[in-house]
Amino acid sequence: MASISEMYDVGWEEMRDKLRKWREDNCRNSEQIVDVGEELISEHSSKLGDDVWIIYEQVMIAALDCSRDDLALTCLQELRKQFPDSHRVKRLSGMRLEALERYDEANKHYDSILQDDPTNTSARKRKISILKAQGKTAEAIRELNEYLEQFVGDQEAWHELSELYINEHDYGKAAFCLEELMMSNPHNHLYCEQYAEVKYTQGGLENLELSRKYFAQALRLNNRNMRALFGLYMSASHIAASPKVSAKVKKDNMKYAGWAATQINRAYKLAGRGTKESKCSMKAVEEMLESMQITMS
Amino acid sequence: MADPELLLDSSIRMWVVLPIVFITFFVGIIRHYVTQLLHSDKKVDLEQVSDSQVLLRSRILRENGKYIPRQSFAMRKHYFNDAETGFFKKVKRKVVPKNPMTDTSMLTDMMKGNLTNVLPMIVIGGWINWAFSGFVITKVPFPLTLRFKPMLQRGIDLLSLDASWVSSASWYFLNVFGLRSMYSLILGQDNAADQSRVMQDQMTGAAMAMPPDPNKAFKSEWEALEIVEHKWALENVEEDLMSRDLNFGTFFSQDIKSTMF
Repeated sequence: MASISEMYDVGWEEMRDKLRKWREDNCRNSEQIVDVGEELISEHSSKLGDDVWIIYEQVMIAALDCSRDDLALTCLQELRKQFPDSHRVKRLSGMRLEALERYDEANKHYDSILQDDPTNTSARKRKISILKAQGKTAEAIRELNEYLEQFVGDQEAWHELSELYINEHDYGKAAFCLEELMMSNPHNHLYCEQYAEVKYTQGGLENLELSRKYFAQALRLNNRNMRALFGLYMSASHIAASPKVSAKVKKDNMKYAGWAATQINRAYKLAGRGTKESKCSMKAVEEMLESMQITMS
Repeated sequence: MADPELLLDSSIRMWVVLPIVFITFFVGIIRHYVTQLLHSDKKVDLEQVSDSQVLLRSRILRENGKYIPRQSFAMRKHYFNDAETGFFKKVKRKVVPKNPMTDTSMLTDMMKGNLTNVLPMIVIGGWINWAFSGFVITKVPFPLTLRFKPMLQRGIDLLSLDASWVSSASWYFLNVFGLRSMYSLILGQDNAADQSRVMQDQMTGAAMAMPPDPNKAFKSEWEALEIVEHKWALENVEEDLMSRDLNFGTFFSQDIKSTMF
């Protein structure tokens, strides 16, 4: 099998820079990381200097994702040799035990880290993910709540909690978590859109209005968010079709829904430019929009 | 007075000016590595971390509260500020005044700081004063008043000498502060050889880290949160959005090539 450097004609520096970019963007493309990283550490480890340790960590986590236990063990052993007393390495060996489903041993590892250093957040989060992997969602939610009481600023944890609540269909609490995220990242359109979706799922006139507003906000922050555009259309037409609204509200919402439908048409037209099937897909979009439209009296 | 240009022996330049520069520089680098060796990890208190994050959350609520619905904002404000059950009213932390003389960790830190920073400066400054005394080194390019003479011209008792001519001790001090940027170039930012920053830190230290009195911080945060009003940013979002067509850019125009490199 050809190596990465031959397939893409890149040198080791480009591979290292690509790994760094994936690290900074927090991408979870584990197969790619394993391919690139494995070649980098087997052939060019001497040229990497001090970077090699963080690459070992990155490749090890990706290898656990791809079920490459051999590679994970090699990386872990190198790290253990270099940093024998490190909490960070201990957490990695705990993660390896988790991957092998030896949860009790992993828990013992994390407990020993926490004894040494009660403020270590990563060990606590790993324990919560063990609970999640074992399917004990209620306990995981409880532990995560306790964790968040002490570390209120941890955004990753808020997001995880909102996901857990959505899985348990507790939309009110999921909305609370997403509000925390929206406050700390007001320009992130994805949080606005997720919040709008949760509100839409909750249902009820007030929540629908809120969801429409937040879909619009997500669109304002990012004009290309198709999901938010569809969401805007759905929530506006839903409100317009509801029997309890006043005439003015109905008119406004029909206007919003109409505008959203136009924009959707435009988007599909742009996307289909140059392809032969554009006419058919345009027709399909129009039919879909009409079928989604709940009949208004 | 008319400025008789003194002509200094060029060997002064070779054997005094440059050696002082090198000495200062290398002592700084050695200081950096010694500090790293003696550095001890600061043990953080869980409660302190938690408190600082709570204060951060309250501040974010004040600043960005306008992005969440009115009711949610009111709920959070109530959680923090309510007269009986609010966080800032209810939680009182035990404040142990950190006396520098008795608190052991701070004492050792202070001693280490003194040892690595002040001591070499005094020792080397004194040695330079003793070794290179009795002659002027250089002239500062700006005129100075006579009051600076005893400070900058140690060991030279010439009343008529212009105050701009300085002795080796002042050249040494000039170097200490001037080589700061060189250190950051070579050792990277945040290096321990940077003495002036250490002195600056000691003055503004209390403002940056968690203030030793969390109760005061809570009280000021409570006051700040009381006066904040919720002005929803999403009042007219639909009108703003629909005032013009959406800008899709080049998003839909072509296939997006996705390969690794």
